[in-house]
Amino acid sequence: MRKVGFSTGALAKGDFRRAVGMLQQAGVALIELSALRQSELQPLAEALPDLNLSSFSYVSVHAPSRIDGGTEKCVLAFLDTFVQRGLPIIIHPDAIQDFSAWRSIGSLLLVENMDLRKRIGRTASELSEIFSKLPDAALCLDLGHARQVDSTMSEAALILGKFGSRLKQLHISEVNTMSHHESLSLSAIRAFNKVSHLIPDDCPLILETPVRPEEIQKEVDRARDALAFSALLPAGVA
Amino acid sequence: MSESPVKELQAKLGCEWPFINRAAKSAKEKTDQIRSILTSGLPLDSEDRSIVTFGSLARNEWTSGSDLDWTLLIDGMADPEHLTIARTIARSLEHGFKAPGQTGIFGNLAFSHEIIHHIGGQNDTNRNTTQRILLLLESKVIGLKPDAYERVLAGILDRYLTEDTSILTSGTAKKSRVPRFLLNDIVRFWRTMAVDFANKQRERGGQGWALRNLKLRMSRKLIFATGLLTCFSCSLNPSKVMQDAESGLGDTVQSFVNHLKQFARKTPLEVLGEATLSYKVPQKVISELFESYDEFLALLGDEDKRKVLENLNFTDAQTNPLFADVRKIGYRFQDGLTKLFYETPRIRELTIMYGVF
Repeated sequence: MRKVGFSTGALAKGDFRRAVGMLQQAGVALIELSALRQSELQPLAEALPDLNLSSFSYVSVHAPSRIDGGTEKCVLAFLDTFVQRGLPIIIHPDAIQDFSAWRSIGSLLLVENMDLRKRIGRTASELSEIFSKLPDAALCLDLGHARQVDSTMSEAALILGKFGSRLKQLHISEVNTMSHHESLSLSAIRAFNKVSHLIPDDCPLILETPVRPEEIQKEVDRARDALAFSALLPAGVA
Repeated sequence: MSESPVKELQAKLGCEWPFINRAAKSAKEKTDQIRSILTSGLPLDSEDRSIVTFGSLARNEWTSGSDLDWTLLIDGMADPEHLTIARTIARSLEHGFKAPGQTGIFGNLAFSHEIIHHIGGQNDTNRNTTQRILLLLESKVIGLKPDAYERVLAGILDRYLTEDTSILTSGTAKKSRVPRFLLNDIVRFWRTMAVDFANKQRERGGQGWALRNLKLRMSRKLIFATGLLTCFSCSLNPSKVMQDAESGLGDTVQSFVNHLKQFARKTPLEVLGEATLSYKVPQKVISELFESYDEFLALLGDEDKRKVLENLNFTDAQTNPLFADVRKIGYRFQDGLTKLFYETPRIRELTIMYGVF
């Protein structure tokens, strides 16, 4: 059975401790600690030694999606706290200012494919350029972003075909036309089904869907459905 | 694929097709000029809408008589301002370019939902089919934002392939890999163009008959031929993506979509050129095809001759020496196509299997 977890930012924006508690209560074993806003990074790094993450079999960290000018070195210093513990770091490629400074993170750095708001890192061809600058980096495939770029998932298939060996984590959510994350719907589940056979069973799936605590397990089940291989159903057949 | 199969062919044959080359160069210059006009003010395109051209500019066959066929292709939230944007585009292009033709298919808005969702059935109007097939066979983004265009291309192809039960099931159809649903629609489009040609003769009282006849024999027929070749390429020259996708149904659709998208980004002459190179078509046939097409573009670029053809109706054409030349060019091109489709070993089998029924 596929292992599914949640991003703390989806459950409790800006309050990772609360999100950790929610996931522990729900018995979810995978977690992505979110520091999507730069202001969240230092508190998370400082809290790490005291944070009880023993119930989680997989822990990753989402780096800030935007880094203020002149502070990149500082951000890297905080991120090193997690790298030292062997925690994967998910990064938006457009947040990076100096690629050479990020190379030392090596394969613990997971480059995420971008959504339509961004001008880089959205397609296989654009990711090629990123990986040429970060040759050891891994991939965090965001299925919601990939679907927003191409709802047929053929671009996602191309990304997996080209960079599947780098795949270390998935993000899974529905991304609407405003580029906001939503709970998984039938159309998203059907779309993700199309590429499920290209994703290894043991690849961690991290949900980025904003749900209430009582909806966590249902959303985890939907994520498993989305990545379960099923026979191709014609349009109009549920 | 070769980056420029047409150039490669000229080098290989030791010849030059001057009017094809000139038209391609002009098309590039016009595209740059149009892009400059469209980007001189506030942005008109976005991630949700692409400015797309069709016709001779999209085919890279720009001549002095070309008109500018464009549409604002929308794939996003409905916005009442879309019409204002389309009118702004029209106004910015009205000085210096011949406006789109009379059918109303170009020079305004096109919506992805209709194009992608209405394939066949009552709601698939002539206009909808035309926009969809031309997007696949004869289109190019002239704005800066191709996002909507790329999504719509993928969406169209996905529709054709997901619902092509002949590819997805086992047996001969799966082995031959020709996307029949797509091929049928391309054939339907060709026949529709031919029928519409007769209809226009009636509607327009014979006005412009000879020029339309020339275009039907040449550029319209070319896009039909390259549409067939595109479908046949899935069987005859599958990309590595397709070759690797041997297992599982899920692989098939996306691998076909990614393979076919490559063709949608090529001009019809590039697709034809690539096919003649890949399938080792005899040089004589290549010459017939490309030399006649070169003469066709020479005619279109000659303002005096073009004017004669524009004013020539069916009756007068029968004794007009210029139209006699038009016929010869058309016959030569057809001869080349006949040999390509019926005498090239691998293509012949597929033409027999899929070309009529």
